[in-house]
Amino acid sequence: MLPAEFVARCKRHRVVLSVVFLLIFPLVMPFKAIAVNILIYGLFALGFNLLFGTLGLLSFGHAALFGGGAYACGIAIVHYGAPWWLGIFAGLLGGMLIAAIIGALAIRTRGIYFAMVTLALAQCVYFVAYQASDFTGGENGLRGIDVRDINLFGLHINFVDPLNRYYVVAAFVAAALFVLSRILASPFGAVLEAVRENEARARACGYDVRATRFVAFVISGGFCGLAGALQALHLSIVPIETLYYQTSGLVVMMALLGGMGTFFGPFIGAGVFLLLENLVSLWTVHWQLVVGAAFVACVLFFPRGIWGTILLGRAK
Amino acid sequence: MDGITPDLIILQLFTGLALGAIYVLLALGMSLLFGMLTVVNFAHGAFYMLGAYIGIVLLGIGLNFWMCLLFVPLVVGSLGLLAERFLIRPLYGRGIDYPLLLTFGLSYMMVECVRIVFGTQGLPFDTPELLQGASDIGIGYFPTYRLFVIGVAAMVLVLLWLFLERTPYGLIIRAGARDPQIVRILGIDVGRVWLVVFGIGTGLAALAGLLAAPLQGASPEMGNSILAEAFVVTVVGGMGSLVGAVIAGLLVGVVVSMTSLFQPEMAQVSIFALMAVVLLIRPQGFFGRAGLMS
Amino acid sequence: MSDIILTTEGVAKSFGKFRALSGITASFPRGKLTAIIGPNGAGKSTYFNLISGAFPPSAGRIVFEGRDITGTAQHRYAALGIAKSFQITTVFPQVTVLENVRVALQALVSRFNIWMPRGDLAGLAEKAADLLNVVGISQHRERLAGSLAHGEQRALEIAMALASNPRLLLLDEPTAGMSPEETRSMMDLIVKLASERTVILVEHKMKLVMGISDRLLVLHHGELLAEGTPDDIRRNETVKRVYLGQREH
Repeated sequence: MLPAEFVARCKRHRVVLSVVFLLIFPLVMPFKAIAVNILIYGLFALGFNLLFGTLGLLSFGHAALFGGGAYACGIAIVHYGAPWWLGIFAGLLGGMLIAAIIGALAIRTRGIYFAMVTLALAQCVYFVAYQASDFTGGENGLRGIDVRDINLFGLHINFVDPLNRYYVVAAFVAAALFVLSRILASPFGAVLEAVRENEARARACGYDVRATRFVAFVISGGFCGLAGALQALHLSIVPIETLYYQTSGLVVMMALLGGMGTFFGPFIGAGVFLLLENLVSLWTVHWQLVVGAAFVACVLFFPRGIWGTILLGRAK
Repeated sequence: MDGITPDLIILQLFTGLALGAIYVLLALGMSLLFGMLTVVNFAHGAFYMLGAYIGIVLLGIGLNFWMCLLFVPLVVGSLGLLAERFLIRPLYGRGIDYPLLLTFGLSYMMVECVRIVFGTQGLPFDTPELLQGASDIGIGYFPTYRLFVIGVAAMVLVLLWLFLERTPYGLIIRAGARDPQIVRILGIDVGRVWLVVFGIGTGLAALAGLLAAPLQGASPEMGNSILAEAFVVTVVGGMGSLVGAVIAGLLVGVVVSMTSLFQPEMAQVSIFALMAVVLLIRPQGFFGRAGLMS
Repeated sequence: MSDIILTTEGVAKSFGKFRALSGITASFPRGKLTAIIGPNGAGKSTYFNLISGAFPPSAGRIVFEGRDITGTAQHRYAALGIAKSFQITTVFPQVTVLENVRVALQALVSRFNIWMPRGDLAGLAEKAADLLNVVGISQHRERLAGSLAHGEQRALEIAMALASNPRLLLLDEPTAGMSPEETRSMMDLIVKLASERTVILVEHKMKLVMGISDRLLVLHHGELLAEGTPDDIRRNETVKRVYLGQREH
């Protein structure tokens, strides 16, 4: 029973492993900015995977949660002069709020409808943001999220420095990872598995499947909103494309590429995706073709994703 | 609200129907694919876009618009056949999410290929001479081309209906949709049926794209936003229901054009608001069967 | 406590134009094993699904322990004291056998706690192990539920149904698709369970339930054809005719 032991050991120490990894990660990356991007999209993919991998619900509307978080953070800072930490908090809440609205409608549908309805509702959010240009900057995006200096209990951190910026983002991501692992190990995590595995039995056991899905959607919105807020701080701007459905597709790709049923898979998927995108765009502007082909190949030949395949290989 | 006369409203209604006709063609294809193959085609918008570009190519080699109406669906439908045979077929029986994800990746590739060949800028697409100008429809003048779009969609509907209801092949398709096992027992190659259905579905999308091109030009991204709208139509009409696709397509078209008359900035949002209302009242759509999606 | 645990008052169900079940009025005595039998297409499964709340009746009322439970949401049944097993086995295949039952037990104590480690819920694992003992599959507790044999999965499903300590246990064709040995041990299990609580089961094969049931309900063409003790039913001329007309299989 070596594989089970291995997996169990990884699970036991995953918090420690993650922290060590996060500390050394920027030092091995070609640019610090990529490392920050990978963290942010990794977090976004984790939040998405809580719904897809753990609960089995395929959402194609997560751009609205990520973008919603980014806009909430940006609007709080630009229009209301909120400090950076309040901006992040606003992003977290913004993601959850939009998730609650989209979720309330989308969980009425099931299976394939769910993917289509979440996509359509997210497009609706996109158009609203596009029209409300006084607030969101419309098609120019929300500009001027200028955070240069982070004040933490009297300790000033220069946020312009890429390595500092990385560690600030990493601290939030580490916290989110910890929270997520707690959720997955909690009684609610058990309910999520049960609903994914067999809806009818979960219901017969006494679980309200709809409410469970709704709560999971809102929690997922919290993670994605946090990722969006970090993205807004990182870029100093929220491009309107953040809300477009291609962003939703991006996160689905990342999760699938890494391995949906696994804890770290989405993170690895985000990393591989962004590195691949960077590499390919060095020699051609048509990186989308390569990425699309990689994705198609992944669906056809590696449905378990990179991390899922590795775990399976170990298990054999 | 000055200047909005009953005549104007009726003209706008026709504009809505023309837009709706394009939605109908898209949603018909999508519903066919879902109803018969349980494939949600995320590349549907890309096939729509391809319809416009293949039209440009065919016009470029000297075909006229009328021949395009026939050949564009054939060419794109053949590409659809290839996609089904080599990419989607291996995924049957592996759950409903996989074809969806695959077609999503495929749409990325198709859009990028078109960008490589035709450039990232959109291309103009002239309305055929015969259909330029406006015709008197009793209450005022209305662009002839839009009337033509409505007419083509109506004709396609009739042909599709005849094909499904009155030909032996249509019978097999309908039977296959209900119970593939039976069709297999009867010694019919179900794979070939699926292939044909996929060809028809993507061909319809291409026809929609071709018809839309004179109205808005051709651009690599033209399929992106219409995909979400086609989803709305399919959801509102009820997945897998052809009647639903027709009624919902026209309805959505009219709702969009009416909102753009009164509240132009809300036109895009109104589509999704309509969907939200339908979902609240009837989650399976107008003609969808409850529990089908589980 | 009354000695009637459940009554259906004129419950009927139509699917579109098809009338699957005409108004059925029947009472189920507490502490007894009642079997619902009938030939294929008699409406047994429809009746079962109405009782177990899978879908609401088109007409009529369902009363459980004096409470009208018509149209109650499915997930509330466990708390009411009603549990069921499905005709198609429903377990959580990618989860261990023990965790399957543990999750079923957890429904009574914690549904939305996202912070506490699930192992800290006191006593659930022990109770789950006990239930596995009751149904006789405790040797498989660490295996994935999906890897169990068909009969074992059905036993697991019953263990999960027992988790809510139901006063009424509903079983839909519990021996469907089982080998003769599996059927025999399932029958033994059902008899054991029926000694402690009310059991209603749907069965297609009449001779399987004749020996163990206290009461029988015979459905035919969506109507209640007869009800009574096994002896009453055995002597009933109409039942004979219906069953002779369609050979058992």
